[in-house]
Amino acid sequence: MAAAAAEGAPASVQLGPSPLLEVSDLRVTFRTRAASIHAVQGISFSVEPGQTLAIIGESGSGKTVSAQAVMGILPRTATVSGSIRFKGDELVGRSEHELRDYRGRNVAMVFQNPERSLNPTMRIGTQIAEAILSHLKVDRKEAHERAVELLRMVRLQAPERRFYEYPHQLSGGMRQRVMIAIALACGPALLIADEATTALDVTTQAQIMDLLMDLQQQTGTALLMISHDLGLAASYAEEVIVMYAGKVVEQAPTKELFADVRMPYTQALLDAIPRIETEPHVLLPVIGGRPPDLAVIPSGCSFAPRCPAVQDDCREQAPPLRQHEPGRWWACWHPYRKGAPE
Amino acid sequence: MSVPADLITTAPVPDTAAPFGPFGTAGRVPGWARSLEIVIPGAILAALLFFCFIWPLVYPVPKPIGGSLLTPHLPLWSPGHILGTDIVGDDVMSRILYGGRVSFEVAAAVQVIGLVIGGSLGMAAAYRGGWVEAVLMRILDVFLAFPSLVLVLAIADGLGPSETHVIWALSFFSIPAFARVARAATLRLRDQPFVVASRLSGSRPLTIMFRHLVPNMWPQLLTFSLLGASLTIILEGALDFLGYGIPPPAASWGNMIASGQQLISVYPSFVVVPSVFLLVTAICLNVLGDGLRARWGTR
Amino acid sequence: MNTSVTVQPARWAGGARARRLARSPVLRLAGRRILTAIPVLWGVTLLTFITLSALPGDAASALLGINATPAELRAFRIKLHLNEPFWVRYGHWLGGALTGNLGTSFSGGQSVASTIGQRLPVTLELVIYAMVITMVVSVPLAVLCARRPRGIIDRLSMVLSMASISIAPYVLALLLVIVFAVDTSIFPAIGYQSIGAGLAGNLRDVTLPSIILALPLIGFYTRFLRGDLLEQMQSEDYIVTARAKGLSDWQILTRHALRNSFIGLMTVIGLNLATLIGVTVIVEQIFSLPGIGYELLQSISNRNVPVVEGIVLVFGAAVVLANLVTDLLYSVLDPRIRHVRSR
Repeated sequence: MAAAAAEGAPASVQLGPSPLLEVSDLRVTFRTRAASIHAVQGISFSVEPGQTLAIIGESGSGKTVSAQAVMGILPRTATVSGSIRFKGDELVGRSEHELRDYRGRNVAMVFQNPERSLNPTMRIGTQIAEAILSHLKVDRKEAHERAVELLRMVRLQAPERRFYEYPHQLSGGMRQRVMIAIALACGPALLIADEATTALDVTTQAQIMDLLMDLQQQTGTALLMISHDLGLAASYAEEVIVMYAGKVVEQAPTKELFADVRMPYTQALLDAIPRIETEPHVLLPVIGGRPPDLAVIPSGCSFAPRCPAVQDDCREQAPPLRQHEPGRWWACWHPYRKGAPE
Repeated sequence: MSVPADLITTAPVPDTAAPFGPFGTAGRVPGWARSLEIVIPGAILAALLFFCFIWPLVYPVPKPIGGSLLTPHLPLWSPGHILGTDIVGDDVMSRILYGGRVSFEVAAAVQVIGLVIGGSLGMAAAYRGGWVEAVLMRILDVFLAFPSLVLVLAIADGLGPSETHVIWALSFFSIPAFARVARAATLRLRDQPFVVASRLSGSRPLTIMFRHLVPNMWPQLLTFSLLGASLTIILEGALDFLGYGIPPPAASWGNMIASGQQLISVYPSFVVVPSVFLLVTAICLNVLGDGLRARWGTR
Repeated sequence: MNTSVTVQPARWAGGARARRLARSPVLRLAGRRILTAIPVLWGVTLLTFITLSALPGDAASALLGINATPAELRAFRIKLHLNEPFWVRYGHWLGGALTGNLGTSFSGGQSVASTIGQRLPVTLELVIYAMVITMVVSVPLAVLCARRPRGIIDRLSMVLSMASISIAPYVLALLLVIVFAVDTSIFPAIGYQSIGAGLAGNLRDVTLPSIILALPLIGFYTRFLRGDLLEQMQSEDYIVTARAKGLSDWQILTRHALRNSFIGLMTVIGLNLATLIGVTVIVEQIFSLPGIGYELLQSISNRNVPVVEGIVLVFGAAVVLANLVTDLLYSVLDPRIRHVRSR
């Protein structure tokens, strides 16, 4: 990829086969009675086959909306523009009917609340089989067998018995495994995990993430992690995208991002993570202020009101996202110097 | 540029009775007045009430009873008799108006009785809890397990038809119904922090009930009474129709329909006119009650 | 799977089986319900007795007419024990009822049980027919509405359902009679033919009254179901999961949302039972159908105490039974309740 600073062009870490998912200048706006909410303001990224990409951001940064746009499950009040290409096929502008074929078959999603994401009155095996039957031409018996196999794959004990159980008979971690089984039922090329471990305790979190990693190895599925947890990204992702107020503000391979933070925002996020080494009874360095109102597109940098390194020109003009170094993108007028955070 | 894509599922648009009224009135007209579902039925009901109760006092409307036998079966739009006259020469329009009085009086009385007696009982019992509540619930069950109908019919039959008897008879339905609603609402509110705080700071139960519980319950009770009023009007009509209610020659929508039955193929208007009024009133009450309920967000 | 039943090694076969049954949550629920129902039923009969006795007039004057001589009235009263004090009469009836004898009708002397036995099937047929019509119409209609909220079908259905709830059944009856019976004679206005005498004729007679019973129910249940379905579609996460699987709205509605709505629907149906009974009485009166409601009206006028008490008992038992069935259905339809004891 040319080292020239190309604005808004898709980023890609490794050269190789064409990307699995290519998002270009995606914009999502919600029409409400009061105003238009600009949830996503022109983001671009791509996912390679088998890659693990993490999108990190606060609530309201637009990360979940972006994931929903890729899945095609945005509500009717949303206006989408830009381009989302999956294996070269353009998804923006497709009919609902066509998208239904694509959803679940090529891209699948695991959600945040395992208690609420499964139908309480349906057996879990049936819910998995449903996913299979809706896309693959198999008979019920084979769907049943595949479902049991999937339950085994997500490491649930006694899968034949589990097939007949109801969601309330399972713990949170087990339910999330079932959700993963449903997601992987049709062998999708891309799996989106939207805060999939946020509602789980730390131990279970680690188990689920390890499971996802192993499954990825087994099946070669690409994984798009959405989270607010930088630590999670650090441990499991190959590349990290940081979003703020609907825009991508930094993008880099994981190691480089954490070794060498440029964006004040990313640094602030890192600082806010409680650490074992921190002295007790010391105030956590949280980021002051609140995320901006997405109904208003600011003239300057969105983070300016809260940025510790803000300068006058930040407020006047919004910095563009540029690839300043090979594989590293950021959008800041005054990024931290290499190795010397302010 | 912005292509409104079909990259979306057909997620349902939220179903609220939120205002979608006339444009350009934002800021000058209060929220509720912009909601057509509230304004239109409200206006119709107000008009009906006006015409039934106030109009005859200002305008010389022909008497509902004692019309001239020389002018029976006059058709609609006859001079002096807008809706014609009935079989004995009474002016239909004024019978409608006076009959409407009966319907509204009965509906209002039954709801008020139910609200005051049933509502208080339900609230008090649910607040006290314990065996008082248990006993009350059993008694309510008894009333709801049917004899209300028997009682209503028996009372109406035994004591003779009259407006007061109808009111008392129908109250047998409304008291348990309001008690149930008040009980449910009280149970929900009783353990809310602000009620507990009030109790702990030593307020007397009566104070708590009227300062905290009632203000939070009344929207629900109001919408319930509107829906109940609609049902009461229909039931009152049923009683009149079956002969247990207001006896002719006094006018009531129900007995007008009943007496119009025989002539239905020849003079259908005798049945149709009071039926239309009945229907419109019931619909307005239902729509208004439903609209308020959606607006106030109670179930 | 369901560990609510612990199988112990039986000391003797009969005992183990009985113990297992006694632990079954279903039977326990049924038992509890029946126990609490008994005082309610008793209260119901007592209340009715009090009311009928307190009202002016009695069976003698009602049945013998105004022309009866005082001597005839006295003789009638003595024959039916009407001159005895209230508690004696009630005790007499209660004693009979508890031993299964509901007494004999004051008018005609036929046993109450057989009177009810003759009339009940008519009413039952009416009610069942009405419920079938209701379900067949409301459920698909509600799904169609929920699929495209604010669409044409939805708006139209909401308006029509509002109208059908608001229209008085007797008015509706008269209108339908005009249209169907007087003008076109498709359905008869009055009269009843039992099933035994010919199914086609029977259905013809019962259709019109059943439609009248069904119409407000359809309005009510369609609104309810539609609201419940919409609420699920908008705010429940498992619906989002279903969408992510690639299911169509129709599939989501019928396979996921309807399931969860049935529970609520059952409750609503149970709650409406009493109103339904009331409307049935009116409809039977209008169409002169020889059902229980019709009989009830007659008997009240006649102060025919045993018959009224018998009918009241039957209705009370029906309500209790309906509540019981609803609760049982809860545990069948909602697996969370079923397994409460097993975790």
